[in-house]
Amino acid sequence: MQVKIEKVFTIDAPSASAWQFLQDISGVAGCMPGAEITEQVDDNNYKGSVKVKIGPATAAFKGDIEIKGIDADKRELHMLGTGADVKGTSSASMDLVAFVRDGDDGKCELVGNAAVTVNGKMASLGGRMMTQVSDQILKQFGANFANNVMAMGDGAAAEAAASKAAEQPKELNAFGLMWGVVVGFFKGLFGKK
Amino acid sequence: MATTAESLEREQKLEGVGCSKRRKEDPRFIQGKGNYVDDIKMPGMVFGDFVRSPHAHARIKGINKEKALALPGVVAVLTADDLKPLNLHWMPTLAGDKQAVLADEKVAFQYQEVAMVIAEDRYIAADATELVEVEYEPLPAIVDPHTSMDDDAPIIREDVADADEVGQGKRRHPNHIFSWDVGDKEATERAFNDAEVTVKQAMLNHRVHPSPLETCGCVASFDKVNNKLTVWLTSQAPHIVRTVVSLLSGVPESNVRIISPDIGGGFGNKVGVYPGYVVSIVASIVLGVPVKWIEDRIENLSTTAFARDYHMEGELAADKEGNIKAMRVNVLADHGAFNSHAQPTKWPAGLFSICTGSYDIPTAYANVDGVYTNKAPGGVAYRCSFRVTEAVYVIERMMDVLAQKLEMDPAELRIKNFIKPEQFPYQSALGWEYDSGDYHTAFKKVMDAVDYEGLRKEQAEKKARGEIMGIGISTFTEIVGAGPSKACDVLGVGMFDSAEIRVHPTGSIIARMGTITQGQGHATTYAQIIATELGIPSDEITIEEGDTDTAPYGLGTYGSRSTPVAGAATVNAARKIREKARKIAAHLLEVSENDLEWDVDQFRVVGSPDQTKTMKEIAWAAYNDVPDGMEMGLETVDYYDPPNFTYPFGAYVTVVDIDKYTGEASIRRFYALDDCGTRINPMIIEGQVHGGLNEGFAVAMGQELPFDEDGNLLGNTFMDYFWPTMVETPKWELDYTVTPSPHHPMGAKGVAESPHVGSIPCFSNAINDALMQFGITHVDMPHNAFRVWKTLHELNLDKD
Repeated sequence: MQVKIEKVFTIDAPSASAWQFLQDISGVAGCMPGAEITEQVDDNNYKGSVKVKIGPATAAFKGDIEIKGIDADKRELHMLGTGADVKGTSSASMDLVAFVRDGDDGKCELVGNAAVTVNGKMASLGGRMMTQVSDQILKQFGANFANNVMAMGDGAAAEAAASKAAEQPKELNAFGLMWGVVVGFFKGLFGKK
Repeated sequence: MATTAESLEREQKLEGVGCSKRRKEDPRFIQGKGNYVDDIKMPGMVFGDFVRSPHAHARIKGINKEKALALPGVVAVLTADDLKPLNLHWMPTLAGDKQAVLADEKVAFQYQEVAMVIAEDRYIAADATELVEVEYEPLPAIVDPHTSMDDDAPIIREDVADADEVGQGKRRHPNHIFSWDVGDKEATERAFNDAEVTVKQAMLNHRVHPSPLETCGCVASFDKVNNKLTVWLTSQAPHIVRTVVSLLSGVPESNVRIISPDIGGGFGNKVGVYPGYVVSIVASIVLGVPVKWIEDRIENLSTTAFARDYHMEGELAADKEGNIKAMRVNVLADHGAFNSHAQPTKWPAGLFSICTGSYDIPTAYANVDGVYTNKAPGGVAYRCSFRVTEAVYVIERMMDVLAQKLEMDPAELRIKNFIKPEQFPYQSALGWEYDSGDYHTAFKKVMDAVDYEGLRKEQAEKKARGEIMGIGISTFTEIVGAGPSKACDVLGVGMFDSAEIRVHPTGSIIARMGTITQGQGHATTYAQIIATELGIPSDEITIEEGDTDTAPYGLGTYGSRSTPVAGAATVNAARKIREKARKIAAHLLEVSENDLEWDVDQFRVVGSPDQTKTMKEIAWAAYNDVPDGMEMGLETVDYYDPPNFTYPFGAYVTVVDIDKYTGEASIRRFYALDDCGTRINPMIIEGQVHGGLNEGFAVAMGQELPFDEDGNLLGNTFMDYFWPTMVETPKWELDYTVTPSPHHPMGAKGVAESPHVGSIPCFSNAINDALMQFGITHVDMPHNAFRVWKTLHELNLDKD
């Protein structure tokens, strides 16, 4: 099962800072809630893990991240993450193309296009929630990314962003996540014409 | 002298054929005293649980058992490599193919069995399955069977990629299983070329699952000292399982005992042999302790056989007046990753060729191609005879499609084309001999009961008011009671069935059959047959089935075959006993046996009505005073090979009201007339009809096994898979006619499956009938609210 997601995050920082941060693979991975890079294999290959906690159950994914390309002219990063949960019942992959562009008023935008594929139990049981769940994960990712970039600047705003970035949850908290999904679902239900 | 009234009174006391006797098995079920496979507990018993594939198609790069084996309580972890030395990592299927017992180098469907963990405790086994590390290399999966035979399609079965055939004739692609056709292709083509009117419609009998309340499972217990293997198994066919187990394991058949205890519903799901059974048996033989394996609901829905998945294209040719000249059907059958189709050996598409239905169609041709896809194997007959639901669906839908084209009422078109009563026995264009039927009388009774004309008038008035109503008709003929051994066998064993009757000295009876009840009420029905034939009250007759050590060999219960086949054997066995009883009575009364006549429960001397011997008196004498040269005792066994199938039929009409804003269809009325020949227990028949209608409702209106494009199964829990409860179930109105089968010794035809087979097109015709008013010709099942709404939305009907 595959969903394609396109997201645009506005960051109150110059695009050069955002591009600089985008090339820090460990830093970017760290913006993904619950994710971390555990090993750098070579220039373009990393090993990583993601933990998801849903109530009392914890699911842990382990996988590989491959940098498919970094294009400085376009300020674009292309990476592929593939992994399987350690219980062997599900697998997932994400093909992500992200780039930075200038925005209005000295701000910039991070644009992400992701194709997320899940297989196994997660697809069978959670398939219908995939779009919403992926959406929520990316929302948290965007917020963390923005905080990290803003923290590279100076002043009170940067300090606040830095402390927010430091506080970000160390695992993907699916309770909060589910709440976001539920709220999103109802907004979608009643908000659209 | 015995009066008619007095005879009648004695007859009523027997509670025999025709009596709505309460089911003898129910007191134990309603008190929770049933004994199912999962109730079996044995000393030292261990438990198996499967490690299953998350991928629909992948190569297995390695399996690491170490962590699982390290968990305290884990006894063993078995993989294909462990079964290889015994040559049991693959098993033969009923359809002549083979199926992986545990995935051998690759997996070909999601949830496929990869390894079995055996542990001292069910929970430890479940925990340990998550510790078995399997490394996969995912491969592209085939989900849509229409792409299976593409040039660049991935090869699903490398093990048979180059084989010319996989048990069912020549193939033309590595993912092709068989081509099977029947009828006169050229004559049909000519009829279509010459026809004034032709119609053609593609339709899908979607993939569903019988989902019995009890899932599949077994307890295998191998006694090393005596080389005796006992297996409690959820099986609809324990004897054929015994033969298969003996052939596979090398244990002599006399040392294999298969016991089907109480079975919580089968509906075709429990006919096959599944990997769980095989691995449990192997594990018990290897470990020397009893091994229990019970699958959970997700496993049952995901892997343990599916039903249908027939992608059909129906065609009819007719003249302008609506006289049908020819029928043609092309089918693409999705059989999943292994051809584990439930079928009599020579019938790769089952009895699909009954697709000319209740109509006198002079020329016909049907072609079925079976292909592999990356889905679970199966193709079981879900509450129907082999592929009869698919056949009935295509003809009953096509009748409505043709009626639309001719601008003729679908009821009128049916009446015009029904086989006439005087045409029976009727030879169908596709080779069947219909035994008996009176379709006109049955249909007229239903039309009158529902005021068909009034309904059509109401429908037109509602349309004018902006309301949507649909009327569904189904006038179906089934083919059940497989079957004559000249036509049908399973792995070479003819599809006969059997009954053994033993009359005790005090006149009570124990009888055993080769069938096995799963809720059909055999303990009651068979007893009623014997009661009528032998004059012993049915309450004093015990029926025992399902233990291969005691019951005579039979092919089991599916395809509505118990009454047509084992029921006939029961009648014949009883009649053999009655003939012996007549000789004993003649001896006791010192008259010639020709001077005796049978009267309900006794033999009476003709012309001397006070001289009688009751069956009970005769039973006592059978053990102490028999004629010279006669064996003592009163028992016999009969193996019945039916001369033909039976052809029960029915006429159903349903009325649905559709909420145009939500697509919700409410079943306002469902009128079902069934003709199953002689009726043994009308109350049990009604219960069976209720159950069949309910499952038909389920399939037509909601049940579905959907897959995403990668082969992930998206509906394998009861959260998604539709199971109608009393909330959703419509009210059923039942009726009947009686047209006995001329070749069955009692005239009975079988009934449990007709309502499933007949109601699915009835519901579907109703929804389509509603939409046909707005120019639609056909929409596929399941007709859940969302799908109906989508059509209404496309038609712009969901707004005021």
